[in-house]
Amino acid sequence: MEGTDNSIKDFFYSAVMMNTDINYKTLTDLTDNKAITNYRDLADKDLLDRIVSAPPALKPETVNRISNLSDSYIRIMDIALGYKNIADKENISVKSCLDKDYPYNWKMLSGMPKVFYFKGSYDIITRMTLNGSCAVVGSRNASKYSVYATEKICGVLGNKGITIVSGMAFGIDRSAHLASVSTPGGTVAVLAGGADNIYPPVNKDIYDAIAAQGLIVSEMPPGQKPLRQYFPSRNRLIAGLSDCTLIMEAGAVSGTLHTASFAAAQGKEVFVLPNNIYYENAWGGLKLLEDGGNVLLGPDSVIDSIARSVMYKRLGIGCRGEIPFLDKDDEFENAANVGVLRELARANPEELTDNNWKMLISDALTLKPLCADELCNITSLPFYKVSKLLTELELNGTVCQEKGKYSLTFV
Amino acid sequence: MASRPNVVRIYSCFTEGSGSTVSLIEVSISPGIPTFSVIGLCDSSIRESQGRLRSAFKSCGFNMPKGHITVGISPAYKRKTGSGFDLPMALGILFASGQLYLPDNSKIFAEGELTLSGELKATPGACIRLKTVKNIDFDYRLIPVSEASSAGLAGFRGQAISTLSELSGIFDCNMYKESVFDYSKAPGDDDFIDVSMLKGQEKAKRALLICASGFHNILLMGSPGCGKTMAGKILTGILPRMDQDEISDVYSLNELTAGESGRISDIRPVRIIGPSVSVSKLIGDSVTVTPGELALANHGILFADELPLYKTEVIDFLRKPLEEHKVNIVRKGNLYSFDSNFIFLGTGNPCKCGLLYEKGSKCRCTSAEIKRYLSKINGPFLERIDIFSEMRTISGNDMASIYTDEDRSESLDYRKTVERCWKIEHERYGGSYLNATFPEEDIKDQMRIPENVIRYASELSEKGFFSARGFTRILRVARTIADINEAEDVSAGDVAEASQYRLRGF
Repeated sequence: MEGTDNSIKDFFYSAVMMNTDINYKTLTDLTDNKAITNYRDLADKDLLDRIVSAPPALKPETVNRISNLSDSYIRIMDIALGYKNIADKENISVKSCLDKDYPYNWKMLSGMPKVFYFKGSYDIITRMTLNGSCAVVGSRNASKYSVYATEKICGVLGNKGITIVSGMAFGIDRSAHLASVSTPGGTVAVLAGGADNIYPPVNKDIYDAIAAQGLIVSEMPPGQKPLRQYFPSRNRLIAGLSDCTLIMEAGAVSGTLHTASFAAAQGKEVFVLPNNIYYENAWGGLKLLEDGGNVLLGPDSVIDSIARSVMYKRLGIGCRGEIPFLDKDDEFENAANVGVLRELARANPEELTDNNWKMLISDALTLKPLCADELCNITSLPFYKVSKLLTELELNGTVCQEKGKYSLTFV
Repeated sequence: MASRPNVVRIYSCFTEGSGSTVSLIEVSISPGIPTFSVIGLCDSSIRESQGRLRSAFKSCGFNMPKGHITVGISPAYKRKTGSGFDLPMALGILFASGQLYLPDNSKIFAEGELTLSGELKATPGACIRLKTVKNIDFDYRLIPVSEASSAGLAGFRGQAISTLSELSGIFDCNMYKESVFDYSKAPGDDDFIDVSMLKGQEKAKRALLICASGFHNILLMGSPGCGKTMAGKILTGILPRMDQDEISDVYSLNELTAGESGRISDIRPVRIIGPSVSVSKLIGDSVTVTPGELALANHGILFADELPLYKTEVIDFLRKPLEEHKVNIVRKGNLYSFDSNFIFLGTGNPCKCGLLYEKGSKCRCTSAEIKRYLSKINGPFLERIDIFSEMRTISGNDMASIYTDEDRSESLDYRKTVERCWKIEHERYGGSYLNATFPEEDIKDQMRIPENVIRYASELSEKGFFSARGFTRILRVARTIADINEAEDVSAGDVAEASQYRLRGF
């Protein structure tokens, strides 16, 4: 009961934000002065009345707005119930910043939505916290070259287990989603309107695909039309949700540049696909490069960057236990992680997946080349198992064999 | 009253190579100046039997008849050798001269060498000969007592006699009694070196298991003293014991070379050859047509120690027998072929100092030196080697635990696995074929290798894990691994493991 109770409060909050003059400032004032503990208390009519009748040390403006809310409480609640109806019909759920599984990346930033709506498989969010995510944005009418690069790079990143975040628009967004929707990394579409609002309508096919295999996210309540002014705000969410941002193509005046500046402001790395300098629609991106953006030469540098931020994130979370590592050739030389794995290998080795073992093997090989028997000894695995892992590691080029010993390829 | 036929016919048999031919000995005595002539391309060992016969007759109370004695041995166009014709010749003369009664219309088989005192002795190759004649319908079958165990192994029924004088009892008093012979296995020395002696060498252990389970050829390389020779002895211990056919195959060849001293044993033979071995020693003696090391290793192991030091011609020669599981001797236009279906176990140092595969980097050989050292083990030869494993000196800790740990029965578990695999493989191929020896090239369906696994293997091949020629070998090894895992179909994981046993990187 608690859950549904809270969810109606969340809908109510959205309705308040959309339909009254209460804004973040008002909320901050309220919470700072302990008038309410969190935004959900706005749904408590008695509390609102109490605030109006005996205001604690609040700004008069705040009290004024609260009394307005209290007056129109029934209307707002009707709107909230309307949202809920649509949400139930469209299979949309709500998530709040008070929930434990609120996106980690957003939690670390200020100004991110207290409540947002989603449709699809929410576990992608949990996965991307640990495996990294990447925003891919660009022009709606992109050149063939940029679309090609988007498909290639998103495919590679997706297969490494990295989640691709984009805005489900035409052009770059569309091909980024298409290339990654069925990869292990998956894809997240952040919409400007409500999560039930397919925009542009032509993209219904990918909307359905993402709803089935990926995740659709919106900070707008269900039923909300995507208005022009919502798009920059949406871009801020895209940048905030991911660990780095790829600008595939951006004109001189473009929403894509918003995403880039949000990302830069949030301290995330921005990669820009180099393009023809005589091609006008790429000027925005090229300008970013001139200003010191990273050059996107291929997926490798992106993976490195994501690996770094994932590593810090994991240290921050204190991520223990089994890590769902989808990355095939693990280049996360993550000391903390390997340590956890090593302990786990000693305590209950049957819990480790093949990828975990591969990680341990490559970790063991960082110092010096080792022979198969030594690897058996280190991992305490039988040779038939080690041999399989070694073949796979050799096949994807992580490890090579020379003089009867195995070593990491890049050494 | 004994009848005195003009020509007496006795059947016997002689060996040539690993086969034998039934021959007919005819004796005729005609009046005239006493002579003794043996005809039918016989060598001097047969012609000399005149002296043995004469003395043996005398010792046992018979007489050498006066007259013109002619002994004809057919088929007359084939060269014959061996003293086993003494007994049939003696019988022929005794019947022809009326000293013994020849029952009418009886077919007699006899073989054995006579001593001057009339005792009967075994001759080499008894097992092969008796196997040839065991299903021919004879009324009397006589062999020397000392061939009894060979006869038992060959499944031959008859009567064993020890001296010539017993003949009168058999033919005059009709005391012929046919019986089945028993053979007793030599006490098997069951104290093989246990697999646990290879502690810490997981790859080598696994390689030996796969090698034994699918009868794959194996190459072990490592530093001096890392236990390569020991691995050979371990391998004998984990191979299943031989069945009767195999025992008799092995024993009959042993007889040809070692005479009576050949032991009957169900332990698979291990023939150890060293760098000084010559091609002729491997093939066998082409004059006497005695089998060489390759044939003697049949059903067992050919253990080639210090392989990189072999003469190039020896290694090149080995290619054919390894492929065909047969070795041929050509003598005077006749082709004698011996089965040589063995596990080839090669060992050697990987480089001049031998430390290439040691832990750390102790080896100081340059890559040119290593290349030169291993140049003899060339590509075409390596294609016949299914499994390669490097070996290392055992570490001190492991050494200590080998001698302190009580549990030393790992070999028995290994052998159980191997026996199970052989059973699966025999059922699959219907015959005595194993994964490595199954002759057909198109193995995909028979070995149950799914399409996607083949694709995976070709991907590995593409990436240089093994050559295109090694492709089917890999699939065979993968099949064996699947059998060890008791899997119906070969999986990609099996291929992945199999590819780790290819020799790469020099």
